[in-house]
Amino acid sequence: MKNLFLVFTISAISLTILSFTIKNNSKALSSNTDVTVYEVPADVQEIIDNSCYGCHNTDSKSTKSKMKLNFDDMSNLKQGKLVGKLHRIYNAVNDVDMPPKKFIDKYPDKELSASDTETLKSWANNLMNKNGGL
Amino acid sequence: MKKKFLYIVFVVFILIQLIPGGLPKVSFDNPDDLIINNKDIPEDVVTILRNSCYDCHSNESHYPWYANISPSSLLIARDINEGRAKLNFSNWENLSKIEKAGALDDISDAITVDEMPMAIYTLIHRNAALNNDEKEVIISWANEFSERLFE
Repeated sequence: MKNLFLVFTISAISLTILSFTIKNNSKALSSNTDVTVYEVPADVQEIIDNSCYGCHNTDSKSTKSKMKLNFDDMSNLKQGKLVGKLHRIYNAVNDVDMPPKKFIDKYPDKELSASDTETLKSWANNLMNKNGGL
Repeated sequence: MKKKFLYIVFVVFILIQLIPGGLPKVSFDNPDDLIINNKDIPEDVVTILRNSCYDCHSNESHYPWYANISPSSLLIARDINEGRAKLNFSNWENLSKIEKAGALDDISDAITVDEMPMAIYTLIHRNAALNNDEKEVIISWANEFSERLFE
């Protein structure tokens, strides 16, 4: 009798825990695809500040640059738009289209090093995946 | 002297006809085409895409008569090759989700900053130029279509 009670209690507790984990899991999964994720680690931020932000910000003098990519606005974008921008950032640095050659000729210290390029690419890749881009 | 000059111009014109033009191939049978595979794209969007974009950004190029004469043929071949390499609506369904999102963002930006359709194209194809309403139609379609990929 005592044993039966013990078994009952243990199963009840484990069932409760199990139902909680399942609930939390499904919540985590759905929030992963529904909510836009935009995080910029310090090392990425440093590269962006040095090589990209000068033209791609809200107060930029270059209308075209800020219309195409504005780092001040990235966290407000919906997933489709954000993944689109990230994919274009990935391609632009991968193909060495950005920063523009003319700009680098004038400010050689703004050039992306090979490791800067890799850091930006894996950052973009990671965020594209977190936003359901796979 | 003037006669000689005209003669030289004429000979050069004849000679450049010998340069192989390499016009990109045209095909109207594209099973992976954007419009064919997405019947829910609104009619006004389809019309604009076909009218203002498809000559360079699909396999369905309609070549004008001067596409067969140098030097215009060389310019046309270069622009269409570049256009298709960047974005070819005839291959749309082969793109990954992130490539589609990137292309749609690019479309919306290129129209917003008036990079597309190219000025040299609309100079001759006057009805391919987009007015503000048509621009807005394409921009909001591209943005909505992209978000729907992530729903």
